[in-house]
Amino acid sequence: MVKHSNVQHEHLEGLTMNLSKNFRYISTFLAVLLLVLFSSCSLDVTDPNSASEESVLNTPEGITALAVGIQQNYAMNVFHRQVFATAVTAREMAVNNTFANLVELELGGQDLSGDNESLIGWWSNAYKVIGMAEDLIENTPNVKMDPGTKSGIIALAKLIKAMTLGGLATGWEKLPVTTQTDGKAPFKTREEALQTAIQLLEEAKSEIAATPPSSEFNSKILNQGLDLANTINAYLARFRLFVGDYSGAIQAAQSVDLSVASMFVYDDLNQNPFWNNTHVTTNYAPRDFFGVTYPDADTTDARLTFFMSPADAQSNPHGYPIENWNSPFYASATASVPVYVPGEMHLIMAEAYLNQGNITEAINHINAVRTKQPQDDPLGIGANLAPYSGAATADAVKEEIFRQRAAELFGQGLRLEDSRRLGQPGPDPNDPDKRSRNFYPYPSNERQNNPNTPPDPAI
Amino acid sequence: MRSVLKYVVFFNLILIFSLFAQGELVIKGQVTDENGEPLPAANILVKGTEYGTITDDDGAYILSIPSPKGEIVVEAYYIGYQTGRQTVSQTTGTVTVNFVLKLDAVQGDEIVVTGTSIATSRKQLGNAVATVDVTEIRESGARSLDQALSGKIPGAFVQQNSGNPAGGISVRLRGTGTVLGSADPLYIVDGVIVNNDSPVLLLLGGYAQNRLVDINPEDIERIEVVKGAAAAALYGSRANNGVVQIFTKRGRQGRPRITYSSRLMFNSLRKKFPVNMYPYKMQGDSLVPVQRYDWQDWIFDTGMGNEQYLSVAGGTPTTSYFASGSYFSNEGIIKNSSFKRASARIRVDQVLNSWANLTVSGNYIYSWSHEIPNGGLASNYGALTGFIFGPNTIDIRPDPVTGKYPKPILANPLEVIDKFDFNQRINRFIGSAKLILTPFQGWSFDYTLGIDTYDQDATAFIPIGTTAPGLANGFSRHAKYDVLQLNNDVNLRYQTRIANAVESSTLIGGTLQYERRQSLAAEAKDLSPVVEIVPGGATQAIGESRSERVIYGFFAQQTFGFRNRLFATIAGRLDASSVFGEKERWQFYPKASFSYVLSEENFWKNSAAGNYVPFLKLRASLGESGGLTAIGPYDRFTKYVPVSYDNKSGLIPSTQLGAEDIRPERQRELELGVDLGFWQNRVGVEFTYYDQNTTDLLLFRTIAPSTGFTRKLQNVGTLKNKGIELLIRAIPVDNPKVRWTTYLTYARNRNEVNGIEEGILRFSSGWGLVAAANGYPLPVLYGTKYERNADGSIKLDADGLPIRAAERGIIGDPNPDWTGSWVNEFRIMKNWSLRMQLDAVWGQDVLNFTRRLGSLFVFGTSKDYEKELRGELPKGYTRRVFGIFEHWVEDGSFVKLRELSLSYTWYPKFASVKSVRFSLIGRNLFSWDNYSGYDPEVNVGGQRTVVRGFDFVEVPIPRTVQFGITLNL
Repeated sequence: MVKHSNVQHEHLEGLTMNLSKNFRYISTFLAVLLLVLFSSCSLDVTDPNSASEESVLNTPEGITALAVGIQQNYAMNVFHRQVFATAVTAREMAVNNTFANLVELELGGQDLSGDNESLIGWWSNAYKVIGMAEDLIENTPNVKMDPGTKSGIIALAKLIKAMTLGGLATGWEKLPVTTQTDGKAPFKTREEALQTAIQLLEEAKSEIAATPPSSEFNSKILNQGLDLANTINAYLARFRLFVGDYSGAIQAAQSVDLSVASMFVYDDLNQNPFWNNTHVTTNYAPRDFFGVTYPDADTTDARLTFFMSPADAQSNPHGYPIENWNSPFYASATASVPVYVPGEMHLIMAEAYLNQGNITEAINHINAVRTKQPQDDPLGIGANLAPYSGAATADAVKEEIFRQRAAELFGQGLRLEDSRRLGQPGPDPNDPDKRSRNFYPYPSNERQNNPNTPPDPAI
Repeated sequence: MRSVLKYVVFFNLILIFSLFAQGELVIKGQVTDENGEPLPAANILVKGTEYGTITDDDGAYILSIPSPKGEIVVEAYYIGYQTGRQTVSQTTGTVTVNFVLKLDAVQGDEIVVTGTSIATSRKQLGNAVATVDVTEIRESGARSLDQALSGKIPGAFVQQNSGNPAGGISVRLRGTGTVLGSADPLYIVDGVIVNNDSPVLLLLGGYAQNRLVDINPEDIERIEVVKGAAAAALYGSRANNGVVQIFTKRGRQGRPRITYSSRLMFNSLRKKFPVNMYPYKMQGDSLVPVQRYDWQDWIFDTGMGNEQYLSVAGGTPTTSYFASGSYFSNEGIIKNSSFKRASARIRVDQVLNSWANLTVSGNYIYSWSHEIPNGGLASNYGALTGFIFGPNTIDIRPDPVTGKYPKPILANPLEVIDKFDFNQRINRFIGSAKLILTPFQGWSFDYTLGIDTYDQDATAFIPIGTTAPGLANGFSRHAKYDVLQLNNDVNLRYQTRIANAVESSTLIGGTLQYERRQSLAAEAKDLSPVVEIVPGGATQAIGESRSERVIYGFFAQQTFGFRNRLFATIAGRLDASSVFGEKERWQFYPKASFSYVLSEENFWKNSAAGNYVPFLKLRASLGESGGLTAIGPYDRFTKYVPVSYDNKSGLIPSTQLGAEDIRPERQRELELGVDLGFWQNRVGVEFTYYDQNTTDLLLFRTIAPSTGFTRKLQNVGTLKNKGIELLIRAIPVDNPKVRWTTYLTYARNRNEVNGIEEGILRFSSGWGLVAAANGYPLPVLYGTKYERNADGSIKLDADGLPIRAAERGIIGDPNPDWTGSWVNEFRIMKNWSLRMQLDAVWGQDVLNFTRRLGSLFVFGTSKDYEKELRGELPKGYTRRVFGIFEHWVEDGSFVKLRELSLSYTWYPKFASVKSVRFSLIGRNLFSWDNYSGYDPEVNVGGQRTVVRGFDFVEVPIPRTVQFGITLNL
């Protein structure tokens, strides 16, 4: 390397003198260079691949897109997880695949732990949807939008949060009712969660009553199959029944237009996950006779062939009797799935009247379901049976309500709830006809990170 | 060296101006080695001034300087030799000064710049810098940069991950420095930060090219490597994995020098996978006769290659140039696989005036490859994948009548080779402009603009009606990836002598780096007949992503040298990047280093020890640096990703919560070392101990779903790398007939990761069989184990079969215990040279997934299953151990004869031909190992940081024989 000398050469000094004016040019050039370089390249780079939280929650376009997204997320990631998990636990469907998480789910009891992917997937996606709903509820009022669009979005967000909470409450005894970013969300009882859901639905109902949703909301945000007003009432009726508000349940059920179907639609980009889990991966199969065993089962029930086609088959690995799928809701990648079935309203009313001591009215509503012709139901679900001829005792009618719900509400994700509420025997993980658990253990990713997670229920 | 040349050219000019000023002294002479061989291109410098020149081809020089006022010292410097010094007392007229330079295995006078940004002699450095010189590259048959590096640098673990002709290499300097990001070093070529991504545009089974394959080793003059924070702190947030700096060849004053070289290459399979050839198969409970085939005979073939290279270099006193063009074409050992590369490079050094100098260079590369998918990690339609799944009771050759390929369990390998059309094409330009200003004595300023841009274009086509699993109706994919990287670097240096015994050099500088990456891919299944493009498919999918990244860096460094024996440096770098959280935007990395050349002290020189150990240097260095390869460009944001639902556009938040406060992984490294010279510096020893501690290691943490999110990237882990490096360089024999040079490198590294939630993190990219585990090296092999008795022996059931333990656990460590190389070079009678390189990698485990699969009864292609058929193993044995992964972990230790080369150089006496060199080079000729599979070196995980030691039908590294001829005019 070249070293600089303390022995200066005279000619070099002269050269240096000549160069000193150049140094000014150089330093000016340098300063300009640095200025240009550093101002042209900012450290605040924006992401073209995805939208930022700020831009989503503070603009009408962002809120609109999030309101579409929440429907997609519920339809693609929450609904079927709730349905399949509870259906397996309540023996409505059988696991027909040997994946460890599914086998554990079907074993139930102590074999089902909080590590189970089926439970983690449902719980995690549910709280993601709840978080989205809360963002919509909080931020929609602050952006400039047509009032009818705002009311529609707020009502939709409240409905979906209520549906999600109510769904979680079918599986867990305690649960957070709001998301909390610090990871310390408190757990409430499932009754409190259902009350929160009811409150959300009542607010949604008054929101759209006060300001009817705009045509912009109906055409650009709401998925074309979903009927907002009827769905709010239907879920209100369902949750009021669960918490014992019978007159409220009857009132809400009566407000539902039974000629209307409310659906989640699927398309090629959002392929029906029910179809995917039953026809592509064959994870789940329908249990014989809806998984309800009783000696005098009426095999002429038209709903049997509506949902399944007879097969002398056994599930793998546990060997439970199963049928083949025939449900039109699961038939293809683009098949729509009902958010609720209209027949549920009669059965809600039947149960509510029964609990109020009005057995006659209860039987009337049971018969409305039993004698319904497929063509009279917007979804084509019709039992086409003779009217109820069993004993007019509270216990017998209650059992009949369970059986009718098992058939009419097949695949709606309510069997576990019904099995507990309507006094079915169980749980017994060793009996393939009894539910394998009452409530689920808490997902391990919640337990490990949220100190408020309660101890797991024994079974 | 490069810097020296630059100064020399520039000050020659000053010299010319000054000739008219006053009286002058002309110094002339010759520089030779101890055998009387002339040393061309040696540097001659007048100590303490900038006056200097370089010797011509005969080692002769002539230098005119203004008449000095007193005695001057003239120095002759040549790499690999001890610097020669002679005092001249004459002040005018002509004086002859000849130099006979002695060999130097210590290389304390070698000039390096990496890590300091100021050209510094090695003895001043407080840290180890490894260098590879042009002669070392020339002597070896290196056809790629990894081959140029391998075996020459202690502490550099160079792995060729695949034997495909376009390779795929990983370099680990002092162990793995990150979990989630790339652990490969930062590469700089002539001041340009070059991209080394490994974009996976096609699923080729696990293998991917990395973009160092575009660099032609023929153009390299010199490589410098610094390995950790202690040396690389000036590179800030990009230095955690070390820095490899490459300097390309340049022209020098004189007539045009032309080099033409041509090579022929023959690549062949070194070792076949042992295949089950037992002429029976199991049907029910009985053996029935069957014919078996070794499909490898049809899959592998000798691949031929050739390379043509032409360069011209020369210059005038003010302009020098270097231009080269090359064409490289090589076939793989898998039939139909090939890689071709055409490149052109030009570099011009122009003296603008007495104080300004400009260098401009441009390198254009076009490469293309025909790929055959192999390897079972990332796809199931590969040729070797089809081979291992068997069953080899099928003759897979196409039916001579129908032309149909029989269907084995997966794709028919011959159909993959014949019918699949997978191609990649790369267009790349690397260019730089560098302006150097030296307006005042002692001051210098430079500005470098570097640009590296390429686009990689990949197409895949599987026609209709093949045996490809799941793709029988055809498949087409077209993917593009383009990169733009710019770097602007400014440096201002001031070197002076502040007291008679104290030298000072000061550096301040800044860098601005910008990177953009874009990718676009479209694919389709269910094609229309014959049509190869994506729109011909019924089921189509498209994907795109774009990203930008900006890095600012500012640095300052001060070095003091005391009486040429004691050197101390302090430095700091302040960094900012667009990928860091706003609160963590600015990061500071300090460094301090210290070097003491004890052998310069008189008490040492005059002692007996000084006789035996003429060179002794102690060094210590402590520094911090950062790592940002694990941070995605937009990881600090909570992302809302687009969805379309019911024909309406929507957004949904990602499940990953934005890492608002993300910051780079921070490494603190302490490095201690000693450099020794023995036997008149004919034996040089470098010993280094280092201790790296990386904190703020980035890992994903699960978070409570009740937050609305399920995971977050957090700076939570730690990683330690601790080890030693030893380099011995010796020239035991040097006489006019024979020179024997030998190098020995040895390195061991111990690595430990901590801070992983739940103790263990299994990587889905390696099917959960590789993991990071607290308190263990990164990565480890993980899986099911044997149930063992109390004494450690394997527990057997009633049938004599091993039992699988209930719990999974760590089953192997793919990190070597140590790596080493031994290189011997003999130069005989000036004409002959012989070189031999042995590489050893010891104590690493390899998961032989290939053998595991071939052993299962349904596939039955391996010898293990043959043993079971023969009754040498109990019935059901292979089926049982199939589920016990521990069974398939093998010792992957090996010693390879990496290179054996012999060359003859002819110096014709006629006309302009200076030399003609003929060489015969063998690479990877032999391997001494106990590995049962193809090659313990390859890795189906490609360049993935954590998927190491995973053998699943990746193409083994070929045995290569090359014939070369090089003509110098």
